[in-house]
Amino acid sequence: MKRASRLLAGVYFVLMAVAVTFPGVRPFNTIRPFVLGLPFAFAWPTLWVLGAILVCYAVERTHRS
Amino acid sequence: MTDWRIVAAIVGLYLIGNLIVGIVPGRRASATVAGYVAGDRGFGVILMYFVMGASVFSAFAFLGGPGWAYSRGGAAFYILTYGVLGMAPYMALGVWASRVGRKHGYVTQGAMLAHRFENRWVAVLAGAVSIVASVPYIALQMRGAGIVVAQVTNGHVPEWLGAAAAYAVVLTYVWHSGVQGVGWTNVFQGVFMIVIAWALGLYVPYKLYGGIGEMFAQLEAARPELLTAPGLGPDGTPWSPFAYSSAILVSALGLMMWPHLFMKAFAAKSEATIRRTITLYPTFQVFLVPLFIVGFAGVLHTTQPPNPDAVMPHIILSTGLPPVVVGLFCAGALAAGMSTGDALVHGVGSMTVEDVYRPLSGRALNDLTRRTLIRWTAVAAGVVGYVMALHSGRSLVGLLLMAYGAIVQLAPGVYLGFLWRRATGAGVVAGLMVGVTVTGVLVAQPGWRPWGVHEGLVGLAANLTALVVVSFFTRPPQEQHVKHWIATSRGAS
Repeated sequence: MKRASRLLAGVYFVLMAVAVTFPGVRPFNTIRPFVLGLPFAFAWPTLWVLGAILVCYAVERTHRS
Repeated sequence: MTDWRIVAAIVGLYLIGNLIVGIVPGRRASATVAGYVAGDRGFGVILMYFVMGASVFSAFAFLGGPGWAYSRGGAAFYILTYGVLGMAPYMALGVWASRVGRKHGYVTQGAMLAHRFENRWVAVLAGAVSIVASVPYIALQMRGAGIVVAQVTNGHVPEWLGAAAAYAVVLTYVWHSGVQGVGWTNVFQGVFMIVIAWALGLYVPYKLYGGIGEMFAQLEAARPELLTAPGLGPDGTPWSPFAYSSAILVSALGLMMWPHLFMKAFAAKSEATIRRTITLYPTFQVFLVPLFIVGFAGVLHTTQPPNPDAVMPHIILSTGLPPVVVGLFCAGALAAGMSTGDALVHGVGSMTVEDVYRPLSGRALNDLTRRTLIRWTAVAAGVVGYVMALHSGRSLVGLLLMAYGAIVQLAPGVYLGFLWRRATGAGVVAGLMVGVTVTGVLVAQPGWRPWGVHEGLVGLAANLTALVVVSFFTRPPQEQHVKHWIATSRGAS
């Protein structure tokens, strides 16, 4: 479990690095649709930042037991 | 014009509050170096969360972040992503460092590396690089504090006085309470920063445009180039995607190498504390979102600030907010600058004594003497930073760029120390020197960078190559020692 959760976190952060830099960010780098009033290109990195909370929480939980 | 006396009174009250919060916890710390520098290794999640968050975000983020959104648009998104990407490796590195730190009693990064590589020159060089990089950073925080106070009081409190007042408070609590003072004031300052950023980010677009969506719809019609990555470069022409992407990668790799952040692994109570801190950290990071929104609000505003970094105070002062709110904003900006500056002066004091002076002098110093030396060096760092802030003009930002490039060069030594048994102290020293030189040359000659790639990334490649090559040609530390050290970091006792 511990190993799997750490692997998941590692994969998430590598995916995040790809998704927020060029060329990976290109398909998501648009103004519309707005998300909560923010242009999509602005909301996109914000969502990855927030997603990190869930992933790290999963790691933290498996380590607690 | 808002009444500057009310603004100044609120800032004064805020500074007094800081002083109290900073001095009280120092009474509980032990009178040892471990107490003064690493808080007796007793920091829980709340302290760690605010120390990390408030130390990462400086006056540069609080004023410069909106400035980037205002003048360079989507280029600012890079600041949003690298913080989380940079914190992620600490989930492993921070935990490893905390384990070896507890076992062997390190309080600084340099001491850790020197022991791992059985080479005191690693500590001396890493310490020297960190110290030289930290001082312009301190100066920039002080100048930020001075400028904001001068602006919101309409020049009645001059820059030199605002900076001096804020840092007199910082040096007093750092002197008295060490890292405990840094920790508890950062909780106070962090709450201030977050609350004020969100309040302004939601209020300003509502007041000026009728809502956040409204504002971006107007921007979409007028300046669509600002709303996507990579936004604009410093000269106002489109920024290169290479530059944008490599800036994220370099900042992500280098973030935790800043000694004032890395050292906090030695202050954490347990490994779980570090993991929980990193889990919660993105909640702090998203406070950049409202700050960027304020910056974007400045683009179509009726009047323009004198320079991009002044967009935040400009908007605050020109939207007719009551003086109490202006005062609170000013306190928030000071909080951002002070919470980074305090960790930096404390870090410089600790490194100068523990990483540079101790190994070079070769004298056995008792705990109390070392603590006294660290205190005086921290004060000296504050004074040097202050003089630099007042006298170095615009060159300061250039110095900071070079400083960041240099700090990133600590990464290969730290990472490979934990990951590659064959790495040698001579390799780390060589890599660091090559990396710092290459980065420095490219900062001075930006035209030499391939495809506009960030100079730090080129420096890292050179650094890593030198580290690996020299390591193969030099004798590694005793195998048993390295094996044992790495096993400790992975949790074997």
